[in-house]
Amino acid sequence: MFTYITRRLIQGVVVLLAVSFICFIIFRYAGDPVVTLAGRYATLQEREMVRKAFGLDRPFYIQYTRFIANAAQGKFGKSFVSRVPAFGLIMERFPATVELATSAVFIAFTMGVGLGVLVSLKPYALRNRFIMAGSLFNISIPTFLTGILLIMVFAVYLGVLPPFGRGETVTIGFWRTGLLTWSGITHLILPAFTLGMYQLAVLLRLTRAGMREVLTEEYIKTAWSKGLPPRKVIFKHALRNALIPVVTMTGLQFGELIAFSIVTETIFQWPGMGNLLLISIYESDQPVIVTYIMLAALIILSLNIIVDVLYAYLNPKIRYE
Amino acid sequence: MKRTFMLLLLGIFIGTLLSLTGQAIGASSIVAAVDTPPRTMNPHGSDADANLSVMANFFEGLLQRKAPKGDLFPALAERYEHPDLLTWKLYLRKGVRFHNGNPFTAEDVKFSFERLSNPDVSEFINTGKSIALIDIIDDYTVVIKTKEPIPWFANNLHQIYMMDKESTEARDPGEAEVKPIGTGAYKLVEWVKGSYVKMVANEDYWEGPPPIKNVEMRPITESSTRFAALVSGQAELVSGVPVELYEKVLQNPKLEVITRPARRSIFLALGNKPGSPTADIRVRKAMYMAINEDEIIEKIMRGHAAPAAQIPDPPTIGYNPEIKRLAYNPEMARKLLKEAGYEKGFEITLSGPNDRYVQDAKIAEAVAKYLAKVGIKAKLDVKPKSIFFPQVARGEFEFYLIGWFDGTFDMGRTYFKLGHTRGEGYGELNGTNYSDPSIDTLLDPTGSIVEPEKRKKVLQDLNKMAMVDKIVWIPLHYQQDIYAIQKGKGIKFQPRPDRWIVFKEISK
Repeated sequence: MFTYITRRLIQGVVVLLAVSFICFIIFRYAGDPVVTLAGRYATLQEREMVRKAFGLDRPFYIQYTRFIANAAQGKFGKSFVSRVPAFGLIMERFPATVELATSAVFIAFTMGVGLGVLVSLKPYALRNRFIMAGSLFNISIPTFLTGILLIMVFAVYLGVLPPFGRGETVTIGFWRTGLLTWSGITHLILPAFTLGMYQLAVLLRLTRAGMREVLTEEYIKTAWSKGLPPRKVIFKHALRNALIPVVTMTGLQFGELIAFSIVTETIFQWPGMGNLLLISIYESDQPVIVTYIMLAALIILSLNIIVDVLYAYLNPKIRYE
Repeated sequence: MKRTFMLLLLGIFIGTLLSLTGQAIGASSIVAAVDTPPRTMNPHGSDADANLSVMANFFEGLLQRKAPKGDLFPALAERYEHPDLLTWKLYLRKGVRFHNGNPFTAEDVKFSFERLSNPDVSEFINTGKSIALIDIIDDYTVVIKTKEPIPWFANNLHQIYMMDKESTEARDPGEAEVKPIGTGAYKLVEWVKGSYVKMVANEDYWEGPPPIKNVEMRPITESSTRFAALVSGQAELVSGVPVELYEKVLQNPKLEVITRPARRSIFLALGNKPGSPTADIRVRKAMYMAINEDEIIEKIMRGHAAPAAQIPDPPTIGYNPEIKRLAYNPEMARKLLKEAGYEKGFEITLSGPNDRYVQDAKIAEAVAKYLAKVGIKAKLDVKPKSIFFPQVARGEFEFYLIGWFDGTFDMGRTYFKLGHTRGEGYGELNGTNYSDPSIDTLLDPTGSIVEPEKRKKVLQDLNKMAMVDKIVWIPLHYQQDIYAIQKGKGIKFQPRPDRWIVFKEISK
């Protein structure tokens, strides 16, 4: 086990290095920040002065090694645009994204599993066929369209939910939360649904498939014939066994939701990290973009390792040697 | 039974939501939704208009521009003298205090101007470096000497904001990037990046306290969401209404649309590399005549633009009313191309940004189609502004779409930047390396012409030569700024030419 974890950690570091290298190459060719940094009216000489001041005149490998050396010490450089540390800028936005992603996962998991079980019991009932068709619709429809449609219906025509932002927030330590005020919760509903919609459909289909398989097993037939109440058969005997892949999927997708909530955050003007990333790309704010991608890679990597390790505990049949 | 109970619960839930989301915005408060978020609260940290606009509420320059025409008025300086070409003597306003209580004096002026040349905190390097020395005569008199004559020096003073020397030096530099201390009509309450900027009236403001006491400015970058915020009553004033939603806003009885001709003109820059087809004036003329600008305005801009015949807009010094557009005439264009020996046309690459101006990529597309009709194959090369503008700065294009307006209301600076042959101090945004000695010789001496009438005349002549005789650029149109406000709330709002939203000018 120990050697396995060490090996995974070393792999993780290699992946992070590769990610940072690719980021660096891409953003070197995606715009020159000096033109903005020096101001619209700067002369060529003044631009060169700014380039020097920010160390952008150095050869690529020096810039890169300096970046890695600093990153190893937890220093990620200053944003070119707002001129404050990029890491702080991202961490300020972190709570908003985590709250959004957690709510999305919560919605996706409860509704996905609930509906999945419901559908698996009577797969050919008309209502359940509608649910399945709906889930297919959810998988195929792009997030930005879902978001805009939800805004149009619930904020513009019905006027029951706010269309954008986080509403009132409360700060506890460094964590700014919207979960403790009513306004914060109403603001969360639409974006969380939009973000969780795809996940919901995936989990629904996964649960249904798993349940249908498990329900045909001998031990379920035994349970029925023993005369156990349906609730016990379905939830205790069947669902528990069908749930293993669903839990894995949820765990893996959680990291992705945190890292890639960009579209949803932009549509709802949700002040999270995705929103910041998009603005930073528009402004070619390289330090923020690279830091963000490194953090996203780190989060996904750690979640993967955690899921792998948990697997070994959950299923004694799996051995990592 | 169970079902009716659930429905009842749902009804109660939605009802509570309804009652809570329709929160009223008080009479002395305003919520404005803007299209671009502020980047920093450091008044010298960004020269983008979106940022200068927010800063204008916390900080002030020595002079200020006021709605609706953008004329210059005194602000932190009561008056100024310009005894010789290089010298500006400024008499400061007495009794003005910063938000932290410190008095505003000549020391602060010197400090603020010197801060401009520090690349760590400033995007106004050019202005900072143009100053030779700053002399403090007494607490309320300052003399600024520039290295070279700058005729537009005073015209620029409204966007050079004054900071408090004592607190800026004492504070951590990072804090000065997020917590503004100025002399402006509003103080910052809270800035949550990506969410809102909350401001409260400065009751000790030297012009008197502003009528609106609490301001909440929310950046919403996505235009359909901004529209939703307005319709659902969550915002009372919205800037940057997209042309495709204009009709919708107009039809809504709760909303009022306010439009204003924008200062920004959209035009095509065309290189004249010797030996290339576009070095021939007949070809340049043909390309101009081949473009049906009226159709672009009608179909692509949906009527929200006005045809332009030159780069500067009417209030700019150097605007020449005698310059007229060349009429759309594809037959004539074909004839001119034939005369020039390009009967079969030629190939050219048309570059442009796709995220900077209203419908920018679509306009470029239309231009390429019009040119194709007279036989010129224009290959489209549109890209994000973060890639496009550095290429302009490096002079890598042969033909591109761009927009411009000059914050100083003086055409001279624009022409030096865009039209002069590239060199140190000139033509840094001349992205095609256009070069014409007769333009340069006419432009060079304008730096030392300050007397207004004479300056106007010289710049007008230069403008005419560039647009009529040389066709340095092919002008397209002036954009239109579109705002929307909630009707029946008594909001009095006059848009400014520079698109800034200065809340002390708004009342309710």
